[in-house]
Amino acid sequence: MKKYQLGEFEEIVLLTVGVLHGNAYGVAIKEEIEKRLERKVSVGALQSALRRMENKGFLESEVGETTAKRGGKPKRYFKMTSYGRAALEYNRDIRAELWNAIPDVALEAKFV
Amino acid sequence: MIKKTADRIFKWYCNPDYYPDIKGDLEEIYQDKIVAFPKTAQLKYLVEVLRLCRPALIRPIFKNSLFNSTGMFKNYFKISVRNLVKQKVFSAINIVGLAIGLAAFLLINQYVAFEKSYDKFFSDSDRLYRLTTDQVLDGVIGTRDAMSFAPSGPALVEAVPEITHSTLTYQFNELVLRKNEQSIREKKAIAADSNYFDLFDYKVTSGDPQTMLNEPFSMVLTESRAYDYFGNQNPVGQTIKVLSGFDKSFKVTGVIQDVPENTHYKFDVLVSINSFQKDVDEDGWNSFNYYTYLKLDSHADIEKVRKKLPPMSEFDEETNLEFNLQAVEDIHLYSDYTYEPETHGSANTVIFLNIISILIIIIAWVNYINLSTAKAIDRAREVGVRKAIGAHKLQLVSQFLFESFMLNMLAAVCAILLAQLLYPSFNQLVGKDVIDGIWGNKLFLSKIFGFAALGAIVSGLYPAFVLSNFRTVVVLKGKFRSSAKGTILRKGLVIVQFTVSLTLLVATFVINQQVKYMQSVDKGIDMDYVVGFRRPMFTNENREGLKEKLKQFKQSLSNHHAIENVGFADALPGGEGSDISSTTGEVQIPGKTNIMEGTTYMQWCDEGYFAAAGIRLLAGRNFDSKISTDTSAIIVNESFLKRLGVQDINSVINENIQYGDDEEGHKYRLIGVMKDYNRTSLKSKVEPTATFYHTYASNSVIRLNKSNYREGITHLEKTFEGYFPNTPLSYSFLDERFSALFQEDRQFGQVIATFSALAVIVASLGLFGLSAFMAINRAKEVGIRKVLGASIPQILIIFYREFVLLIGLSSLIGIPLVYYGMDGWLNNYAYRVDFPWVFVVIALLVVAASALLTVGYQTIRVAVKNPSQTLRYE
Repeated sequence: MKKYQLGEFEEIVLLTVGVLHGNAYGVAIKEEIEKRLERKVSVGALQSALRRMENKGFLESEVGETTAKRGGKPKRYFKMTSYGRAALEYNRDIRAELWNAIPDVALEAKFV
Repeated sequence: MIKKTADRIFKWYCNPDYYPDIKGDLEEIYQDKIVAFPKTAQLKYLVEVLRLCRPALIRPIFKNSLFNSTGMFKNYFKISVRNLVKQKVFSAINIVGLAIGLAAFLLINQYVAFEKSYDKFFSDSDRLYRLTTDQVLDGVIGTRDAMSFAPSGPALVEAVPEITHSTLTYQFNELVLRKNEQSIREKKAIAADSNYFDLFDYKVTSGDPQTMLNEPFSMVLTESRAYDYFGNQNPVGQTIKVLSGFDKSFKVTGVIQDVPENTHYKFDVLVSINSFQKDVDEDGWNSFNYYTYLKLDSHADIEKVRKKLPPMSEFDEETNLEFNLQAVEDIHLYSDYTYEPETHGSANTVIFLNIISILIIIIAWVNYINLSTAKAIDRAREVGVRKAIGAHKLQLVSQFLFESFMLNMLAAVCAILLAQLLYPSFNQLVGKDVIDGIWGNKLFLSKIFGFAALGAIVSGLYPAFVLSNFRTVVVLKGKFRSSAKGTILRKGLVIVQFTVSLTLLVATFVINQQVKYMQSVDKGIDMDYVVGFRRPMFTNENREGLKEKLKQFKQSLSNHHAIENVGFADALPGGEGSDISSTTGEVQIPGKTNIMEGTTYMQWCDEGYFAAAGIRLLAGRNFDSKISTDTSAIIVNESFLKRLGVQDINSVINENIQYGDDEEGHKYRLIGVMKDYNRTSLKSKVEPTATFYHTYASNSVIRLNKSNYREGITHLEKTFEGYFPNTPLSYSFLDERFSALFQEDRQFGQVIATFSALAVIVASLGLFGLSAFMAINRAKEVGIRKVLGASIPQILIIFYREFVLLIGLSSLIGIPLVYYGMDGWLNNYAYRVDFPWVFVVIALLVVAASALLTVGYQTIRVAVKNPSQTLRYE
């Protein structure tokens, strides 16, 4: 039973939106993820993740300013909703619980 | 450049809501890239665009816009599906009916198209004409003959400037070919001159079409024949021996495509006509045994050309014949000429089938109209609510049209499956390979969907208007009743269905009755256990030797105990119309009768023929080989004398019959009169026939002993093989030959029967559904009647009264209609049954019984219910 539907990539995007607080629009999110995670992100993957999460209510968005570099097209800034935040926290707590539940022996054994 | 295309693609598929900002992102990234990778930036942009094509981002397929009426279709679709699923019986009846209707309609349509496609595949088919010969008596056209004189083609090309080409052809009865010690009978063999391929542009796969018929003893084969004879070898340059009449080796000079089924003049083997130039020259303007085809130039007006045709008397002074032209495209369906190269189709059959197919599909459409107006009450509330919310009338109309469209499309899919399943049986039914598959047949598929769409509109429009016309207030108050107008229309349509069923049933009965009659009618000869076969042909070299052999052969047969009689005749009973020779010359008994004009037929036979074929002589005597003057003796049939105007047949025995007006001319002593017998199909009357004496005419007839006829057959096979090892024997029983003549009519009868049955089935399906709705609608009435003391039979009678009235009305319309139509059809036959009124009664009973059973079943279902159930909600 899944309480929040949040995929792995979606989680990263959502976190990055949080990181960029107030400045999270398409290109910025893309560059941030690429910089921090050292992995390529396609506009398609990113945008569909954003829209999906917007539909699910994890994100909300508003239209921002236009620049000449963007060919006169506006930016769209994304903001995390409290529901999105709850989803992230839920994910983090689950992970933490799982971490705590691992017996120390298993972790130590790894270093042997 | 690439970027522009990519932009366009992106704009096309992207969800318009997301477009501006994603486009902005893309642009921004592109601007960065163009600095870093000036060369590949555009390509990268394109890749990025393509990777953006994801379900979450693309334009929605159904737009849910408030201001866009297409959005409503999503809802219509949903409601239609729900209704189809909810009203299973209604949907099933409609879909099955429409599917049967569509499939039948289109199969028949395909057949009709095939029949109409005859000879249209030649590139100048509209300019091809066949030269025919009309017999003109006192300005009135008598017999019209498909054949013409050999020299007439070139003569007309010279006389009429519009006629550019002519070709002379001859159709063999058969050719016996010999290859590798094996004799093969080629049933479809013709001869033609070197112009043939200028008119009939068959695809030539090897050989030169201009020259391959130039030399005598040249032969052109169709691809499949070439393969049969030579396998994968190159046939050109090889030789094949032709036995019948030639006994010479022919050189294969060309191979052409297989001759398709849709031409009136089919062949597998074509030889050059100058291989028997001597016979052609001898025939000259004396006898016309050839098919001549002409090609007009492209601007020619056929009527003007007809007027320009010279009178035939320019070529042969004493003639009562005239040239005429017949369009090659019309031959298959419209020709009624004598001596056609093959039994051809009939425009009547095609029209008849067309009518049936239209009737079937109309019945299916009527079902839809009836059922959907009858169950309108079910949808009345929905219409009321939709209107109250603000639906326009036109929106409702389009909703119901959409529903009928869906139903018809479902039916079309079923129809395709049905057609795919049934087309082999259909081909078998009509006896031709009309359809060779459904999937690949784009025309067929587009026709099916086209007609389904047409049906959706034709059958959907009226119910759509009825349904959308409901008045909101009345409907929502629950005071709605089906209108009187709708009931009258439904009754009218039911009458149409009854009438069609009745008419088709009667037509089926009449046709099959006529076919049965023709097969059983006394043909005037006793043909049980009589076998006919063709003897080897004479050539100039083998004539004397073969005669001797035939004599011994005949002797050997006559001596066998299982063979009763042996005779020879030119035309066997039970043959095609064109099997017999005829003359248009004048005939008279000088001093006794007037000159008779018109076609008379000529038969040659020996003294054994009459007994062998079971033909009775009414007066005079048989030929006798011991009387030498019998070579100029003649035996005629009753019809011949009737035509001459002779009352007392005994009075003319031993008189001379004169052919031609020349008194020195051919005179024959009449020694006997035979009873009339039918030589060919019963469409034609008994031909006035004169029989001349000939010892070894081209066919042999033997009568076998009933009790041990098998031994006789074995003996015949053995003896034939012994005497004529080079000629394959193919014999047939005379009654089978007759039965084959009726094949076409039998087939027609079966086709009509099948499709009539389908029409009746579709109609009863509709009636079944309709009576179910009517019974449910009147459930309360039935309940009240029961409470007041009505018994089930009484309720049945109330329901029946209406339908009996409808059936009565349909018979008033249908019976005159079918009488008029079928009596006219029967008049095509020289021997016909009287219009079988008893079948009208039977058909009426069948229709009435099936209707009353259906209605009765539905009524009883309602009538047995406890009134407390049906009246509970009042």
